[in-house]
Amino acid sequence: MGTTLVGSSPLFLQSGLVPRGSRIIVFESIFEVFLLLGTLVGVVVIGYMLYNAYKYRSGATKGDEEVGDRPVLGELPTGSGGGRKLATSFFMSMIIVVSLISWTYLTLLYVEEGPSADNSLDIEAEGYQFGWRFTYPNGHTTDGVLRIPAEQPVRLQVTSADVFHNFGIPELRVKTDAIPGQETETWFVANETGTYTAQCYELCGAGHSYMSAEVIVMPPDEYEEWYESTGNGSSESVSTENQTAFVEARPA
Amino acid sequence: MSDTDPERTDGGTEVGSEVVAGGHEDDHDHGHDFPGTGSIKRWFVTTNHKDVGILYIVTSLFFLVLGGVLAWLMRIQLWAPRAPGETILAPVAYNQAVSAHGLLMVFWFLSPFAFGFANYIVPLQLGAKDLAFPRLNALSYWLYLFSGILFGVSFFQGGTFSGGWTMYAPLNVPTFTPDVGASTAVLALVLFVASVTVSSVNFLTTMHRMRAEGLTLRNMPLFSWTILLTVWMMLFAFAALLAALMVLSADRLLGTTYFAMESPAGALLWTHLFWFFGHPEVYIVFFPALGVMAEVFQTFTGRRIVGRKWFIIAMVLVAIQSFVVWMHHMFLTSINLQVKTLFMITTIGISLPFDLMVFALIYTMLKGKIRFTTPFLFVFGALLLFIIGGITGVFLGAVVLDYEFRGTYWVVAHFHYVMVGGVTALVGGLYYWFPKITGRMYDEFLGKVHFAAYFVGFNLLYFPLFVAWETPRRVFDYAPELAPWHQLATIGGFVLGLSFLIMFYNLFKSAFTGDPVSDNPWEYATTAEWAVSSPPPLENFEGTPTYRDGHLSFILDRESDVTGGATAADGSGGATAGGGVATSPHTAVTTEYEPTVEATEVEGPSHASIWPFVLSLGAFLILLGISPLQDAAFPEGMMGAAYATTAVAGFGVTLGSLIAMGLEPFHGPVFDEGEAWPFSGIDNGKVGMWIFLASDVVLFGGFLGAYIFTRFAFGWTGWQPVPDDPIPGLVNTYILLTSSFTVVLALVAAEKKHKLGLVTSLGATFVLGIGFLVNKALEWQHLFHEGLWLSTNVRTSTFFLTTGLHAAHVIAGLIIALYLTARAWRGAYLEDNRSVEYFGLYWHFVDIVWLFLFPLFYIL
Amino acid sequence: MVSTKFYTAIYVVLFVSATVQVLVEFAGLAYWTAFGIIMVLSAAKAVLVAAYFQHLRWEPRSLTYLVGIGLVAALALTVAASYSLL
Ligand code: HEM
Ligand SMILES: [Cu+2]
Ligand SMILES: [Cu+2]
Repeated sequence: MGTTLVGSSPLFLQSGLVPRGSRIIVFESIFEVFLLLGTLVGVVVIGYMLYNAYKYRSGATKGDEEVGDRPVLGELPTGSGGGRKLATSFFMSMIIVVSLISWTYLTLLYVEEGPSADNSLDIEAEGYQFGWRFTYPNGHTTDGVLRIPAEQPVRLQVTSADVFHNFGIPELRVKTDAIPGQETETWFVANETGTYTAQCYELCGAGHSYMSAEVIVMPPDEYEEWYESTGNGSSESVSTENQTAFVEARPA
Repeated sequence: MSDTDPERTDGGTEVGSEVVAGGHEDDHDHGHDFPGTGSIKRWFVTTNHKDVGILYIVTSLFFLVLGGVLAWLMRIQLWAPRAPGETILAPVAYNQAVSAHGLLMVFWFLSPFAFGFANYIVPLQLGAKDLAFPRLNALSYWLYLFSGILFGVSFFQGGTFSGGWTMYAPLNVPTFTPDVGASTAVLALVLFVASVTVSSVNFLTTMHRMRAEGLTLRNMPLFSWTILLTVWMMLFAFAALLAALMVLSADRLLGTTYFAMESPAGALLWTHLFWFFGHPEVYIVFFPALGVMAEVFQTFTGRRIVGRKWFIIAMVLVAIQSFVVWMHHMFLTSINLQVKTLFMITTIGISLPFDLMVFALIYTMLKGKIRFTTPFLFVFGALLLFIIGGITGVFLGAVVLDYEFRGTYWVVAHFHYVMVGGVTALVGGLYYWFPKITGRMYDEFLGKVHFAAYFVGFNLLYFPLFVAWETPRRVFDYAPELAPWHQLATIGGFVLGLSFLIMFYNLFKSAFTGDPVSDNPWEYATTAEWAVSSPPPLENFEGTPTYRDGHLSFILDRESDVTGGATAADGSGGATAGGGVATSPHTAVTTEYEPTVEATEVEGPSHASIWPFVLSLGAFLILLGISPLQDAAFPEGMMGAAYATTAVAGFGVTLGSLIAMGLEPFHGPVFDEGEAWPFSGIDNGKVGMWIFLASDVVLFGGFLGAYIFTRFAFGWTGWQPVPDDPIPGLVNTYILLTSSFTVVLALVAAEKKHKLGLVTSLGATFVLGIGFLVNKALEWQHLFHEGLWLSTNVRTSTFFLTTGLHAAHVIAGLIIALYLTARAWRGAYLEDNRSVEYFGLYWHFVDIVWLFLFPLFYIL
Repeated sequence: MVSTKFYTAIYVVLFVSATVQVLVEFAGLAYWTAFGIIMVLSAAKAVLVAAYFQHLRWEPRSLTYLVGIGLVAALALTVAASYSLL
């Protein structure tokens, strides 16, 4: 999938070192590396810290004789030696962090570039208090449900009709702000058919917890069939159960 | 819990004064009308930095309890995913709880808690007798307290603000959050920012100007260093926040449309203004904790910090860089890729200095003699938590990951590890300085129990949130399979909260019955607060502290040579033996300082003023009074009339107390200039004025930035100036320039001791200022008649609000001018013309602002 | 310090340049040319007021830097925020 998405990427993007493919793959592979390294660094640093705290506990060490020079009241503050060690650890941590982030930057470029226009489906999404509307290229609009074909990249243009929202489909690892008066762009591709949930990720008022939409990923041929049946100006509205219930439960 | 707090204040300090052998406090009253610590009155009038510090600490703990209860409510709601209709808190109530919790914890608890210590400890560490402007310090406290009360009131005005602590637009405007309480909460923040600004000016002046001889910045203790950098960040960051909040208040109360749904890029404008403040705020709340860590680490490991110089450089870098990373909170908005890249780079850049600081702290333990007292345990735990918070933060710096973490519990867990990690260190600081403040030792065993419960509770609360990170933030209906993790978190929340009961009990009881302590109960403490009695005397030191000889010693003044000398020797006897603090009664030096001593004896610094309290009350009433405004109109009927009356009364009280404060004879601390880089030789008042003006530059910068940004989004050249005729604006330019000139003449006249010239010039300034306002009023009247009003469109909003803010500055200036004229009439300012000079600085600044407003709003 | 005469001279310069700003606007120059001239004049006036009326010229440089920092911060915010819209 990935190679078809970005035809013109430089060679290093294609070498396999830089995660690409669906946004699920991109996220999972980077997250994994970060988790692994993060845990490792955390365990080493905290372990080292605990070990030394124990080792140099008062009364247990000969430290006292080794370093006769303890701080005294009223002295002007100075530092202890150990600068070399400090510099070494600092540069090591710097190398780790900088290389990690640079590595992910290459993926960021890939994600930002997105799929090419000709093989992707463009859909407009608009958030409102408290739901999502989608408009297809042929003008068909749906409310509360997004139908898309499997395996085809989808490009979303997201905006809002009222307050600041954020559109995300967690299982498909796509997310972007929905800002009134602004348009943001993002993309994703679903390889598995099924039903997913889109959710709002920015506090937008009383119904925020329940501001969701159904995302139905259909086999491509079924999708084509459905899409044929829609036309300019037609519309369809599905509210998720929760949403309806919330709207009803809301005091007028 | 909460109702014991006030008692602790009295109790704690009452004991304090009792403990001090011979009652230092009372002896040093210089015969002023200053009640003792046992008296309630004292706490309303005190301007002493140590009293104010105690007030800050106690008050902030009260807000901790309030914010904590709200957190508990949320955690109870989160025990299980809540379908509609099955919630415990109604959805809006939950949103209010989230918002109020965030705001209270960050603004009303965390920073003021840290500033309690800053107030108490920093002057001691610097060798100053008090802050540069003691009354302003009291004013900061009272503004803070009243802002908190105002926030409390907001709950009862139809519900407080419910748009999250980030207050994103346009949810933050009345179209979407119509409750009066929401406006009140915003106004409460405005008042809070006023407190912070006053406090920043005060601390910066003090810390730069009033250090003891030999205590160069390079030699300053690390806690003081962190506070210095914190206040620098505060000065500029909070000015930007003030701009954002004032615009928001105008949108809510006057009907301007900066953030309205229809405004071009209004939602983005808010995110820029807010995060320009918000990111430095992260370090503003964390730096003091870092300072506590550094001090406590050094004391309880018995080692000086490793790489001190690099530690300081790292902090300075962070403080500067904190102003250029704000857009990393906006990676998912419509900002372009170049900007994303830039801010990704600055973000990694700012994370690196922290690595260095963490390693420096860890290496300080090596070869140490570590004593696991309660303060050390807390600070050690804080470092551990901070490491976890830092590592999980790097995840967010990777933009691709941030795209997915944004708005989830990953963020919630991360910032709680960092921020509450900071709280952990500050709690360590509370135990560390408790014996200094009260003169008695806390119960070590209970302290350790508290730490154990706290640490377990903390991790039980926040670690599961990393596991359950897929939960969307500010949402209470989450995937059911995550429920067990949330239940663990809720249990942890209760453990953490209840652990504070142990602390409250321990400290409350120990304040009365703990073992009395010596000056320095901690071996290896080095900083100056440990070289004075516990608690320290009212004016901190016997004699003048100096580091001239490379270590702390006191130059005794003539008066105390006989009697006081003995006291000082007594008081620091132990310290001298243990740590080499010597009282050095250099005879030569003593003579040298004689004149000052005499001056001190004549005037004696003051310690009491009721006006900061009254002034803050007035400000509180004004803001409460205007809170129900919508489209610049009060609601109909009794209610509206009552609010309007409150506002008017507030104005009266404010104005009255300002004048009373101006007339009150009040003498700040007397000091001989020691180290004062980079402001040596400039009067405290002038430095303070310039620091204030620098923050005002950022305030106006925020307003102008908002205008330019909005116009840019709208299409620069498609935007016509609101007044179709630039001539009234030109006339006003002439008027202001002339009035600046007359102020210059006033100062010249004052220097020549030419009373008539002074009075005439000041009077002319006043008249010109009135002319400016009248001309403006006519112009506005004309525009209103054309149907242009604040709420007409975003163009008129920016015009009226920005020039209105300027006009408000003019009005403030005129009040001062009138006051100065009246006093000059009666012969003032001929001997000491500093007031005229400082007023001039302000007035010229207002003039300069107009020099930019005129072309931007009238001709271009 | 300086004489009243000197202050008067500064005042006259300020007065005149404010007039020039409006004249430039009415001169019918291209928008961005006029914009440039007018803003430069404003900046020049501001510098004059700060340097002489607020006598920053005769104060330690640190005060100037202090205000400069505030200015840079505000400019950074404005420029970067506007640029991010592009
Ligand atoms: C003591 C220092 C604390 C600070 C500085 C702090 C700060 C914050 C902030 C800034 C927010 C974000 C509010 C918002 O999204 O608008 C927040 C949210 C929250 N905090 Fe705290 N907090 C603290 C302690 C606690 C404690 C002790 C608990 C639990 C008992 C807690 C539980 C929560 C919860 C449940 C949320 C809501 C998260 C969300 O849905 O976004 N916090 N906190
Ligand atoms: Cu939402
Ligand atoms: Cu940030």
